[in-house]
Amino acid sequence: MADDLTTYHENTWCPGCGNFGLLNALKKAVLALEKKGVPREKLIQTTGIGCHGKMSDYIALSGFATLHGRALAVAQGIKLANPELRVFSSVGDGDTIGEGLEHLVFAAKRNADITALIHNNGVYALTTGQVTPVSERGFRGPSTPLGNPEDPLNPLALMLESGATFVARGYAGKVDHLAGLIVRAIEHEGFSYIDILQPCVSFNNTYERYNKTTEVMQEPPASYDDAVRAVKRRDKLLLGVFYEAKKAPFHIEVQGDRNPAAQRLPRQDRVDRVRKLLEA
Amino acid sequence: MEKGFFTFIVGGKAGEGVKKAGQAAAALFSGMGRHVFQSDEYESLIKGGHNFSAVTTGLRQVTGTYLRADLVVCLDKRSYDIHKDHLAPGGVLVHNSDAMGPGSWKGAGIPLTSSAKKFPNPELRMGLGAVAALMAAIGLDRSDVMKLLKEEYARDLESNLQFALAVHELASPHVGRRFKLERGERKRPLLFGNQAIVLGAYLGGLDAYFAYPMTPSSSALHYIAGKARELGVTVVHPESEIAVMNMALGAAFTGARSMIGTAGGGFGLMVEALSMAGMAEVPVLALLSSRVGPSTGAATLHEQSDLRFALGAGHGEFPRLVASPGTVKEAMFLSAELLDLAWQFQVPAILLTEKHLSESTMTVDIDPSEAAWSQPAVHAGGEYKRYRITDDGVTPLLFPPTKELNKWTSHMCDETGLVSEDPGMITQMHEKFIRKGNALRERLQAMHTVNTFGNEGRVILTYGSTTMAVVEALRFSGRKARVVQPIYLEPFPDWAMGCQADERPIVVEQSSTGMFARLVEDRLGVEPETVIKKYDGRPFDPEELAASLKEVL
Repeated sequence: MADDLTTYHENTWCPGCGNFGLLNALKKAVLALEKKGVPREKLIQTTGIGCHGKMSDYIALSGFATLHGRALAVAQGIKLANPELRVFSSVGDGDTIGEGLEHLVFAAKRNADITALIHNNGVYALTTGQVTPVSERGFRGPSTPLGNPEDPLNPLALMLESGATFVARGYAGKVDHLAGLIVRAIEHEGFSYIDILQPCVSFNNTYERYNKTTEVMQEPPASYDDAVRAVKRRDKLLLGVFYEAKKAPFHIEVQGDRNPAAQRLPRQDRVDRVRKLLEA
Repeated sequence: MEKGFFTFIVGGKAGEGVKKAGQAAAALFSGMGRHVFQSDEYESLIKGGHNFSAVTTGLRQVTGTYLRADLVVCLDKRSYDIHKDHLAPGGVLVHNSDAMGPGSWKGAGIPLTSSAKKFPNPELRMGLGAVAALMAAIGLDRSDVMKLLKEEYARDLESNLQFALAVHELASPHVGRRFKLERGERKRPLLFGNQAIVLGAYLGGLDAYFAYPMTPSSSALHYIAGKARELGVTVVHPESEIAVMNMALGAAFTGARSMIGTAGGGFGLMVEALSMAGMAEVPVLALLSSRVGPSTGAATLHEQSDLRFALGAGHGEFPRLVASPGTVKEAMFLSAELLDLAWQFQVPAILLTEKHLSESTMTVDIDPSEAAWSQPAVHAGGEYKRYRITDDGVTPLLFPPTKELNKWTSHMCDETGLVSEDPGMITQMHEKFIRKGNALRERLQAMHTVNTFGNEGRVILTYGSTTMAVVEALRFSGRKARVVQPIYLEPFPDWAMGCQADERPIVVEQSSTGMFARLVEDRLGVEPETVIKKYDGRPFDPEELAASLKEVL
């Protein structure tokens, strides 16, 4: 897709990689958000390390390509410092459910107004196919040649428990549906999480399985408890928004309507305030 | 002891208001227009153990607390055992007669526990008893007691007043009017080191402070969190030090001036992100306050053992700033200056200090308008490339939202900020950092980077809060020396040290292996004749250091 959202950088994902669907969905979401009055310069992306991280090279949006697992922490710093920005993180499952799990749980707990787009391929692809926290038991990779001895985490259930106020699942093979989810997640005020099923053609090719087992929900779950049951279903991988709630986001709780970056206090104000403190 | 000098020590258990008593005494002396230095020694526990607070006051600047006190008030038996032999000539000891058991004891006994038990929460009030005894000993009367308590013990004021007046009356026959303290010329503000550091950063432009509690940096977090609304600063205590540093770097991306505060262990967790600050060229100010290491070490005690860590932390090669203040006042201005330099050169800046400065309180003469103000180079317009190659290695900044693409990255990249593994590009980026480091060094050459105290006699090299002990020890002993303190440690101001090649300086520092001495050897090519070291977790007592210096001067 040659367009003004694409950079000049060579794309090095494997042919057929699920990330292409994700990138296309993200671009569609950006265009849809622009139509809704959100200019693209306000969309700020942070990325982690992994195949997903190449998103920052391929999409023409401002942002910060950070460390393995830390994209959500950086994103929260950006949002706090300038709440006018719409900050989203393109992150991996090993990256953010493994290395950076603490930031994921706490971003949800504090309802940080950022969006986590999890490129969930169930494998460390860039480092040639090791298990991640969401890999199935028995998964064979170079670090687990006898098979994964651990059961997988269910990140959606974890997010519901942690306090995320927007929890959804998308599929890289259903681009338009996914684009719609991304628009809703970015528009959502508070922490939004989309688990995005992303087949990895080289190390964990799940296209066939996902084409069979995914199903777009016609109706969202009626309650939080129904959402918990829905995300735990093994027979069907349901797609759509499981849970959405209104709750004051973290930056409002911390600093009200103040925008630290856009409303920096001038020097003289600071001198006066410190003088007052010293004279007290 | 020098004329006009007076030291008050209060010792007791944690939870007895020992530190508060020291603070109240400091406020009392500064209210009399005198100079004050107050320090606390405490253990890593909430109740019990042994804590003491020492306050030295004089009619000239005081840069340390003396352990040989004029008045010692012991709230418990353990304090008595520890402090009974540390009296200055003519010194007075007051002990809590309820806590001693049978026997004969030095000094005056006052039934502090039974007096306190007439009021709710008696143990919290014990420290106030020491303040009341102090006020009796320096000849202050009931009206002075009432005045001080309104300022310093306003919570449950009525009970506090009754208790303090009762102790004042009990103490007066024993210790009343034993000392006469002259009034000084004017009342000066009292600041503790961490307070000065965060206020200095605020003056320099600080917008957001991120920290995870860790002694001895926590009081910086507590202070700025308590003033967040009043000052208009965002303060966040997130899930870990890793989150702290990464959030601070995210905040900097928007143009908000951000800062973190931690101690050695927490800084260890931040090191990966420190390297990212180096690679992505993110300005950030880090307060690194040392305690006894390695590892958990001794959490509440003093040491200068993180020097090499501050200088070397982080994988890969990138320019950085490391500087260490000698006094509370210097800490304030240095903090603002480091924030400014961090932003001008887009590098991490580490303000390295120690427990003794972070948590000690001094009277200061400060004009806040003299603090630096951070002014980074900002993109003037037109096409933007975040990592454009420039002569001085600094690429002007641009803050979102902007039409221009603004990509920050932890990767080796091209000028736009997209990943590049091109050999030419990697070489250019490394050389950009080298030129930036050189430009930083040149800037420092035009600045005040080294303090010198005295101009005759042997050279004593020291740094950080140990400088205060050295200067105080020389004043105490009346000996002459030239004390040289590099404020900046990276880039190291070798051009301003004034050391001759054949100089055999004396080095004074608080590390067991002589880290600073080795740095001096490395950077100046001089071999210290003697390294006076102390590594028992306690700052130098000026009198003790004077005795060590006497042997070598």
